Amino acid sequence: MTVKLIGFEVSPGVLSVMMTLHELGVPYQIENPASWQALKDEDYITNKHPFGKVPVLCDGDYKITETRAICRYLVSKYQGKNNKTILIPNDVHKAGLVDQYISYECSYYTPPVAKLVVEEVFHKTSNPELVETSQKEIDKVLDVYEKLLNGKEYLNGEFSLADLLHIPFTHFIFSATKHADWWNKKPNVKQWWDRISNRDCWKKCVEKIKF
Amino acid sequence: MTIKLIGFPYSGPTMRVIITLRELGLPYEFETPANFEVLKTEDFLANKNPFGKIPVLFDGDFRIIESRSICRYLASKYQGKNNNTILIPNDVHKAGLVDQFVSFEIFYYDPPAFKFVSQEVFAEKFWNKNPDPEIIKQGREELIKVLDIYEKLLEGKEYLNGEFSLADIYHSPYTHYVYGVAKHSELWDSRPNVKNWWNRLRNREAVKKTLEEIP
Repeated sequence: MTVKLIGFEVSPGVLSVMMTLHELGVPYQIENPASWQALKDEDYITNKHPFGKVPVLCDGDYKITETRAICRYLVSKYQGKNNKTILIPNDVHKAGLVDQYISYECSYYTPPVAKLVVEEVFHKTSNPELVETSQKEIDKVLDVYEKLLNGKEYLNGEFSLADLLHIPFTHFIFSATKHADWWNKKPNVKQWWDRISNRDCWKKCVEKIKF
Repeated sequence: MTIKLIGFPYSGPTMRVIITLRELGLPYEFETPANFEVLKTEDFLANKNPFGKIPVLFDGDFRIIESRSICRYLASKYQGKNNNTILIPNDVHKAGLVDQFVSFEIFYYDPPAFKFVSQEVFAEKFWNKNPDPEIIKQGREELIKVLDIYEKLLEGKEYLNGEFSLADIYHSPYTHYVYGVAKHSELWDSRPNVKNWWNRLRNREAVKKTLEEIP
């Protein structure tokens, strides 16, 4: 029974799930909804996602929504089955810290980065005021990351789901905006980004991005 | 080895952790910082929380922050040890759906609820600001749409994923603030499934006690 991922290969949430599937060695099919508008149709809301969003994952008869929930489910079910990649450690304390860093991503990192990416990359609008406030906010967060990455290759020492979830939105900053220097001027952050964005599985996902 | 929780009893995120500790039957020490300024001191940022926030939990030497990560850690480590309460199902499919409902809470339920909470509960009390009617209006419109969806999701179910879980705990603090403190109970009570769910939730011993302790 193949895993089916519903979404668009430009949505950062969808890309996070794709990356997770690749990292775990789980084959999947991707199904594109007819359009972004189709996500608000009765049928989609009733049968796919009650809030009209992507990604949605179907694993046989089982359906699950919401990026981080889907990724966590895939790790719980498939980690160690097809290869040795560990995305959530088995040790309860290490797993707790990975969760903590996932919460950093969700609460502090992604909100300002996403706002900027949506405006500049997806809506293609220029907003100097937003750039100014975004830079201040992102700078504060990256200052925290710079310290926490001291002496570490990844947020929790070893590569985990926490690092993975940072990749898609950051990719759009680097590939489609002029703001990469906000990351590159902090040495630990720069090295961390170079390391995680050069993973084979991410490169495979980048090839599949459809704007 | 003691569990120490640092936070404020009226803070939504702190309350999530307190409810979880109580549901799991875990003893803990509770430490309240003297004031908000303490959270921005060098010492707090370096040794407690680099973002200057609460709650912070110490389990012996192990430190963890971010309320939902703390709760998940506690459930992973202690679930089933002191009582039979299950907060994260062992079945991987059921656990996945609990995680899904946690994500609904973070992205869809919390933001509009917090619009009410920030304006009608916190603005005057903590920030010396007048409530902004525009934000309250937006919060109401968004929350109504969300509660309509929850009404369908809760059809035939006592809790979000059928059985009580972390997902239900997380919804409790801000629901209480909007329902009971800001007094918009009609938003929940006008929807039978949602009404029953909230009644059930707020009458759980651990939830009730924690809400009663809000100063």
